Amino acid sequence: MFIGNSIEIERRAFLRRTSQLAMMGGAASYALDLAGLAEAAAFSNAGGYKALVCVFLYGGNDHGNTLIPFDAANYARYAAIRGTAGSEDASGIALARSALANTALTTPSGQRLTDDITYALAPTMPRLKTLFDSGAMAPLLNVGPLIAPLTRAQYDAGSVPRPAKLFSHNDQQSTWQSSQPEGSRTGWGGRMGDLALTSNTNAMFTAINATGNAVFLSGQTAVPYQVSPAGATLYNPLQNGRLFNSAAASQALGTLLRSGSGNVMAADYARFNDRSIQYGAFVNDALRGATLSTNFGTGNRLADQLRVVAQLIGARARLGVTRQVFLVSLGGFDNHDGLIGTHDGLLGQVDSAIDAFYRATVELGVADNVTTFTASDFGRTLSSNGDGSDHGWGAHHFIVGGGVRGGRFYGRAPQVSLTSPDQVGQGRLLPTTSVDELSSTLGLWFGVAPSELPSVAPNIGRFASADIGFMRPLQTAATASR
Amino acid sequence: MHLPDDNTDATERDGSGKTMHLSPMAGGADAVPGAQMPQPDFGLTLKPAAASTLALAVAACGGGGSGSSTGGGAPPVSTVRRPQTDAEAARFLLQASLSASTGAITQLRSEGYEPWLDRQMAAANSQAARGFFADRGFDRVDANRFYNSAIIGDYMIWSQLLSGDNPVRKRIAFALSEFFVASLSGINVTWRGPAIGEYWDTLNRHAFGNYRELLQDITLNPAMGVFLNTRGNRAADPRTGRVPDENYAREVMQLFTIGLFELNPDGTNRLANGNPVETYASEDVTGLARVFTGYDFDQAGLTFTPEVGGTRQIPDAAYIRRPMTADPARWVPARTTGFHSAEAKTFLGLTIPAGTGAAESLQRALDHLFNHSNVGPFFARQMIQRLVTSNPSPAYVGRVAAVFANNGQGRRGDLAAVFKAILLDSEALDPANAANPNFGKLREPVLRFVQLARTFGARSTSGNWQVGDLSDAAAALGQSPLRSPSVFNFFRPGYFPANTEIANRSLLAPEFQLVNETSVAGYVNFLERAITGGRAPVADIALDFSAEIAIAQDSIALLDRLDLLLTARQLSTSARDTIRAAMEDVVLTASSTNADRLRRVQIGVTLILASTDYLVQK
Repeated sequence: MFIGNSIEIERRAFLRRTSQLAMMGGAASYALDLAGLAEAAAFSNAGGYKALVCVFLYGGNDHGNTLIPFDAANYARYAAIRGTAGSEDASGIALARSALANTALTTPSGQRLTDDITYALAPTMPRLKTLFDSGAMAPLLNVGPLIAPLTRAQYDAGSVPRPAKLFSHNDQQSTWQSSQPEGSRTGWGGRMGDLALTSNTNAMFTAINATGNAVFLSGQTAVPYQVSPAGATLYNPLQNGRLFNSAAASQALGTLLRSGSGNVMAADYARFNDRSIQYGAFVNDALRGATLSTNFGTGNRLADQLRVVAQLIGARARLGVTRQVFLVSLGGFDNHDGLIGTHDGLLGQVDSAIDAFYRATVELGVADNVTTFTASDFGRTLSSNGDGSDHGWGAHHFIVGGGVRGGRFYGRAPQVSLTSPDQVGQGRLLPTTSVDELSSTLGLWFGVAPSELPSVAPNIGRFASADIGFMRPLQTAATASR
Repeated sequence: MHLPDDNTDATERDGSGKTMHLSPMAGGADAVPGAQMPQPDFGLTLKPAAASTLALAVAACGGGGSGSSTGGGAPPVSTVRRPQTDAEAARFLLQASLSASTGAITQLRSEGYEPWLDRQMAAANSQAARGFFADRGFDRVDANRFYNSAIIGDYMIWSQLLSGDNPVRKRIAFALSEFFVASLSGINVTWRGPAIGEYWDTLNRHAFGNYRELLQDITLNPAMGVFLNTRGNRAADPRTGRVPDENYAREVMQLFTIGLFELNPDGTNRLANGNPVETYASEDVTGLARVFTGYDFDQAGLTFTPEVGGTRQIPDAAYIRRPMTADPARWVPARTTGFHSAEAKTFLGLTIPAGTGAAESLQRALDHLFNHSNVGPFFARQMIQRLVTSNPSPAYVGRVAAVFANNGQGRRGDLAAVFKAILLDSEALDPANAANPNFGKLREPVLRFVQLARTFGARSTSGNWQVGDLSDAAAALGQSPLRSPSVFNFFRPGYFPANTEIANRSLLAPEFQLVNETSVAGYVNFLERAITGGRAPVADIALDFSAEIAIAQDSIALLDRLDLLLTARQLSTSARDTIRAAMEDVVLTASSTNADRLRRVQIGVTLILASTDYLVQK
């Protein structure tokens, strides 16, 4: 049983606010100063600049080989289930314990996890270990979409609603990003953006997407602005003022690009052209003023995206923003096969990209103001299909930033088992922390008022707490860094 | 054979142009010209006992698409629906084919829609990926290491799309490649170019054949086997806890046959207590996964050649064209025992008994999926979206789905009949729909570039069609054929851009998933380079504007020609005025150079292809 109807996120105060905002998609002026319209009850932009960065791992990241049981007893369970890699009958996807020593995480005293488990990061994630050790990274264990807290018995009986279309890539991508399966109109990043619009002089840059189209950053009003790793793409014939050596043709092009009538799709396409033309040069000018010496390396698409995000954050004053939400992504995580080899490489890219990004925020003096978190369609089975794993549900993710209470674990560690009550077969985890709790915790840090949380995280009312606690308590405005 | 009266006057009654109508079975229809070769039945022929369902069967106008000349009873020429104008003809060509030309317009107006389409479908497939590689030595083991090359796969598909005959077949095959998705970007295998080539050839072979056979062939196709992990998939091993890979089982249900929700015949969701009903559960995926176990490449009897400067033994590329096999004697190295599951395989209410072999299990499983009532509406709706409009009426979907269920001669899954039903339906042909603000679809970037190339006689300077992966949205086209980023295609059937009028009206616009501030600018830059010629990333493609240059001095004649061929006269008056004024900025007289004439043409073509009137196909 699941809730199949779409969830209407209607709040009268919210609607009243949005009706007061000028049309964001159209010809908004850069100097749109809406600060006077902010209602203190809904959102707080105290504490200076803040940004949330979602690192979406497309395909369903294999959490089992990302955060690996390291203590002897649990490692043995893990290896028995996953089988030794490279074994003669080709059944194994377990990582060797000896390879995990360098990335083993120390559970802080005062924290005891399920079955006294201790964890190691994947061998290709040494930088995230360093961030964990310095308190800037917090693992969130067994998080996944839930409508309400759910036990195995309730799952089996269908007596409590659960998310629709579990184990389906596109629907779970949508559910993680928006709380609804494919067809959702807004994502929780965009809904936070809606609340943050009035904090920004140039509201059109509230939500910025450095990767392919996704629902995460779409709000009721907030429209994501998309950039490539090289910044905004400009129209050469308009920049040059000539098309086939004709200035008139260049002008005609500008007119035609922005015209679209008589057909709904034509009109909407014209609006994309319009935004691209209007904002592109402005964004690139702002980026030119932002120098960054942190090295992001090459050949890493995630790092390329995070570099431009860092540059945009560096340019925030020129862009005219105080609160922003970003989306970046990496694909290739649907490791039904070739888990060993492919997956480590991907995790290595995640590790070096997130680390470079964190160091860039330090360089920019905004380490405490930027919180990065990973997300994915779902976790995967613990059991092996020979050389890979299949679609799962709950997974482990990471939260990184100067404002994070890192160096400790959040959520509840799952048992390493194919038969325990915290999994639903083949070791697919039944989440013990919901995406709504994750998004509400981030939302509270971002400035969302507690009363406003359900507009971001619609199911939060069914969970015990809106704050998982992985962010350090907010400082007063006076001591917050700019 | 004489057909009953209500067949022959069907087109007269069908002022709307509907080619489908309710009628009793005519009892033995004419053979379709160019009908497929005799094939195993796969249970396709409906049993006569189901008379009540046959009463609702739709019979193709004229019987099985015979249209033109077979036997007596062909409808009189005057009742065949024809385009009433050149613009209508061009509009149909842009739905059914890859480009429009004055010659094709003339032929289509003369023959009429259905006969013209029948002739296209009957035309032998004259160009295959296999020949492309063989002719250029791209399938030989040598120091070039073509066996590791992906870009020869790109060259192949661009050569197919940008040039050569069978544009209707290729248009359909391209649509099929966006439903049965396998991607060159996702197949790390020896001879990946020929692998995706064989996949493309398979889609072309079956484009006007039968859905059940296509499903069979793509399931066992090596490229698909690597893409969705059927290759090397093994039965469960209780000793190690290993279980079969579920990737293909899940995606063949979710994407290639029945979809996620139970559907009514018109493609709308069937509701139970107001809620959609899921078609399958996790257990079904697990059960079906056992069917797809035990398969690997058939390399029996093939030559292996050591690579140049290495020790790796490279198999003859032929292996990647053979269906995968569960017979371990045909693997290299050969085995005596295979890996097919001996367990019972239960899914969607079907149990294949324990011990059933691979071939039999596959037959039963694919039959079971094929016969699910969802397949017709699920497939029909998406094919309409690829060819005609993103938001077909449920009635349109229902008409096409009905043809999928029964082509009029008792066969299920007749793809020729289905695609005819899509293209000849009044909802596609009615020119009045072009004025409906909610009608139409955004043209895909690949199809825009292909139309540009074919309209202007594209040639490859090198002869190898050296166009690579154009997926980059900032620096290239933003889409590349056979290079979907995942099995979910470049865009989802249910996608719509948020915060738009499309969204406000609850419309779908799948192709808008590729539209963002980067790609809309990158596309214009790509256009400029492609139309200039000799510029990366399409430097190898030379366009021929000689016909346009010849009339360039008459700006109205030039604009009319471009408007007709590129947009089927869908440019608005204001767009025409803007474009014409820009073209006339290049002043031409009798003594103007060809270079200047060309410049005027290039301005016209670029402005049209960048305009929203062009970009949305109505």
